[in-house]
Amino acid sequence: MARIGSLPAGGSIAATRQTSTRAVGRRGGWTLRGLVLLFLVLMLVYFVIPLFWLVVSATKTNDELFSTFGLWFAPDFHLLENLHDVFTYDDGIFVTWLTNSAYYAVVSALGASLIATLAGYTFAKLSFPGRELVFAIILGSIMVPNTALAIPTYLVLSKVGLVNTPLAIILPSLVTPFGVYLMRVYAEQALPDDLLDAARVDGASEWRIFWSIALRLLAPGFVTVLLLTFVGTWNNFFLPLVVTNNPAYYPLTVGLANWNQLSQAFSGSRILYTLVITGSLISVIPLMIGFLFLQRYWQGGLTFGSLRS
Amino acid sequence: MIPSRHMAKHSQTEAIQQAIEVQELAPPASGLPSALRLWRRWRQQAVIPYLFLLPFLLLFSFFILVPLLYALWTSFFVERLIGGTTFVGLQNYQEVLHDGNFWEGVRNVLLLLFTQVPLMLGLALGLALLLDSQIVRLKTIFRLGYFLPYAIPSVIGALLWGYLYSAHIGPFAQLAELLHWPPPPFLTAAGLLPSIANILTWQWTGYNMVILYAALQAIPPELYDAARVDGASGWEIARRIKIPLIAPAIVLTVVFSIIGTLQLFNEPQIMTAIVPNLIQDHYTPNLYAYNLAFTNQQYNYAAAVSFVLGAVVFVFSYVFMLVTYRRGQR
Amino acid sequence: MNRGLLFCRARGMVKAGLLLLLALSISSYLVACGGTSASSGPVTLTFWSWVPNLQQAIDLFEKSHPNIKIKWQNVGSGGTEYTKLTTALKAGSGAPDVVQIEYAYLPQYILSGKLVDLSQYGANDVKDQFVPWTWAQVSSGGKVYAIPQDTGPMGLLYREDIFKKYNLPVPTTWDQYAQEAIQLHKANPKIYITDFSASDGPWFFSLLWQAGSQPFVVNGTTIKIHLDDAAALKVANYWGNLVKSGAVSTAADWNNDWYAALQNGTLATWITAAWAPSDLEGFAPKSVGLWRAAPLPQWSAGEQVSANWGGSTDAVTTQCQHPAEAAEFVKWLNTNPESVKILTQKLYLFPSQKSALQDPSFDTANSFYGGQQVNRIFVESAQQVNTSFQWSPFQDYVFSQLQNQLATAVNGKISFEQAMHNTQNAVVTYARSQGFTVIS
Repeated sequence: MARIGSLPAGGSIAATRQTSTRAVGRRGGWTLRGLVLLFLVLMLVYFVIPLFWLVVSATKTNDELFSTFGLWFAPDFHLLENLHDVFTYDDGIFVTWLTNSAYYAVVSALGASLIATLAGYTFAKLSFPGRELVFAIILGSIMVPNTALAIPTYLVLSKVGLVNTPLAIILPSLVTPFGVYLMRVYAEQALPDDLLDAARVDGASEWRIFWSIALRLLAPGFVTVLLLTFVGTWNNFFLPLVVTNNPAYYPLTVGLANWNQLSQAFSGSRILYTLVITGSLISVIPLMIGFLFLQRYWQGGLTFGSLRS
Repeated sequence: MIPSRHMAKHSQTEAIQQAIEVQELAPPASGLPSALRLWRRWRQQAVIPYLFLLPFLLLFSFFILVPLLYALWTSFFVERLIGGTTFVGLQNYQEVLHDGNFWEGVRNVLLLLFTQVPLMLGLALGLALLLDSQIVRLKTIFRLGYFLPYAIPSVIGALLWGYLYSAHIGPFAQLAELLHWPPPPFLTAAGLLPSIANILTWQWTGYNMVILYAALQAIPPELYDAARVDGASGWEIARRIKIPLIAPAIVLTVVFSIIGTLQLFNEPQIMTAIVPNLIQDHYTPNLYAYNLAFTNQQYNYAAAVSFVLGAVVFVFSYVFMLVTYRRGQR
Repeated sequence: MNRGLLFCRARGMVKAGLLLLLALSISSYLVACGGTSASSGPVTLTFWSWVPNLQQAIDLFEKSHPNIKIKWQNVGSGGTEYTKLTTALKAGSGAPDVVQIEYAYLPQYILSGKLVDLSQYGANDVKDQFVPWTWAQVSSGGKVYAIPQDTGPMGLLYREDIFKKYNLPVPTTWDQYAQEAIQLHKANPKIYITDFSASDGPWFFSLLWQAGSQPFVVNGTTIKIHLDDAAALKVANYWGNLVKSGAVSTAADWNNDWYAALQNGTLATWITAAWAPSDLEGFAPKSVGLWRAAPLPQWSAGEQVSANWGGSTDAVTTQCQHPAEAAEFVKWLNTNPESVKILTQKLYLFPSQKSALQDPSFDTANSFYGGQQVNRIFVESAQQVNTSFQWSPFQDYVFSQLQNQLATAVNGKISFEQAMHNTQNAVVTYARSQGFTVIS
């Protein structure tokens, strides 16, 4: 049972496969296996070392940061004090940033994936005039870099009076052309036309077909777009930097960058350096937990973009 | 089988609605006026799809299309600090085409595209194949570990690498000092591009690996069984069966990498934070566009640079897809 | 079985998610509207500044001005703030009422007409309270665009222990400084006399300032540009030779390596400004007692010429609905004795106000500097700053060009002199393309 839990969501096929490989048995000699394992472990070290530095550094004082070997703990374990500082500095503004990040990311991710699922389904399963043209425009917009959009987006937001409000961060994050692309490809594979046609013959309205039939079959794709948008919004820096001025609306990324700047510019705030590091560690943890618990969804979902042949 | 459970709970009004819709779909033999029929067909084929697309298209228009068109429009003007705005037609585009800074940036990202991207994708494919083979246990830990860097925001990335690359307090420099070696040249003019390539590889290999791994997991295992019975080695199975089968996934990762590399911004920005004296404001075309807009206040020219870059991205992605498509046809 | 369960759960998630989404979007709408409730009572002014702990002074202001409320926001320092400010000013909304701007960046906002002329609110009344050169930088022809907040007259911080150990006198001229740079590096190849950072345009400009270079003379839309005048070439060649000799390091400043180098004795001096002594205490705490301050080395022996590096002003933007109240605030913040005392003695800003420079409590012994009265050096320096120095109205562009060119020169691809010529050419072309009349 535990084994099935770790399978990708789209993976009913994979489930059968795992059992069949068990039957075939393991192959490869011990030397080869050892070498492969060594390689994989070395790669793991490569990918994880920077994070390890973050963990180690979060346990140090400001002085120790600069005077002790970076990849090992200092004799004095200072993590709890650092955590206390992070959560209490400036009347606990860090907690505000943390909740802001969570709030922006949750709302944007849910909204974006629902909108993208509906759009992707429509492109995949309904035929209508202008379908390919509209889709080409959406995909083409990915080609032009986002920097071109910064000032015009700000102008649009300021025209409708949304600058310096949470909506200025959330609304633009609801648009994921990439998500629409993924959902279109996924819907083309995961939804048999026969099933939809049968429902139509039964007299179900198009909305009901989407809501009651399609959505549940598209769930793994939905969750994938959800996670990608969640990470995207959680890590977004430039948009919130430009459109918010009030520290009470900052997400973690902008807040931490602000602390980081202060720690470099002013001696009186030098203590901030440990806050930036400990705060960074805290900001990564929710994503790590999310990946761990939701991996059966996202790993299954990620395939579909690529299975189009 | 799936819809039936819900259909059972229909209310009366829904049942009526349903009856109408059944009629709609029935052959047009009965006495419905043709105008009404046309309307219903139209509704089915145009109104409903666009109604479904409405939320996306509305937001897309507001936050991507309108800003894009606005940027396109401004790219035909020049706004001077003195003398205001004048229409100049395609002059900005002509200038971009002759702008050495722009093409220097393009050269840098192309260099990365042809060196770092193959390396990263090769590594991603190798890791995916190894994790998919039967010789490895603890797959979840490896998979998760490799994927984690994707979750690190670039602000924090700058902090991490600024420390790790440091020639004084960095752990590699400290190790080198113990061995009486010179510190590794991460933050020198010569080491800059490799240092950026390393950050890119670190951040994106896991993401690409997961895409490829997931594609491998979806291959029905029966396909290998015959080969195994014939005595094919794991390597042969990988080369002859697995890689061809996940070719579409590989193409996808390449296209993403082309777009991502040509539009490179975050990683050079990280390096700007660490070594501002080494990285010029036009190191990549996207960085150039950003600095033109925000440092030089040349918004119009910046917009033109962005669109020319968009065209370059389009050409490269299109050519790549064309080539792979042709190959696939053969 | 398992698969069905999985999907049901996922679908439940979707529906629960939608409800949550609805609830959250309503609440975010409420949040969005909550901030902008119409106020009939006191006037609220937003104030962008990156000076830490400024709230102490603001509290005092609000106490004495019950009908003005100040909403202080730290939106990032320097470039980060300007990016946001420029965008907001361009869009016509979203800019603060009052904003901190460094001297070098003031002209570009004045030129675009986005700053309120404070002379109509009696700003000229406080003119005499400020050090003359600062007032010259914030005003033009009787119009006042900002109130000086703090300054950075320059000086030399040096490691007394290192100079003693290698038997070197503290340099008083640049020639002597260069000789000792080479001697020091020869005596101990690990030590550099200082770091030449090509990425610090404002710092290099302060060196030009001291040498008597006059890169810009601005007169309305006519501008004289001389980034490669004799004085500028003198400075460029001086540093070019030092860099070539290998006696100075060329790493970037303001990062961890640089802090470490200042702390562990790799760098023997820091050519810096009056705000630096307290900064240094923060990022090189272990070098306590080893540093001293001295006047800036001179180009000719016996001269007393200094320059300014850094420092800020407070300006009022044209998006402000209550300019009179805003003008009152910036005047009060920078002239009220109690406020100035907080700024200079609690927040460690170096004063732009004459009275604060003379204040005996400002002239205290500093134990980090072995009991030296460090401020005294910089108070003297403040009197020696050349008052006629001018910035261009596109200084951001000038810095970025200069930094590009200096970096190329440090890498040995072009000479330092060539770097100045290239910068000059680029800036002239830019100024012309921006509609300025460039004369020589």
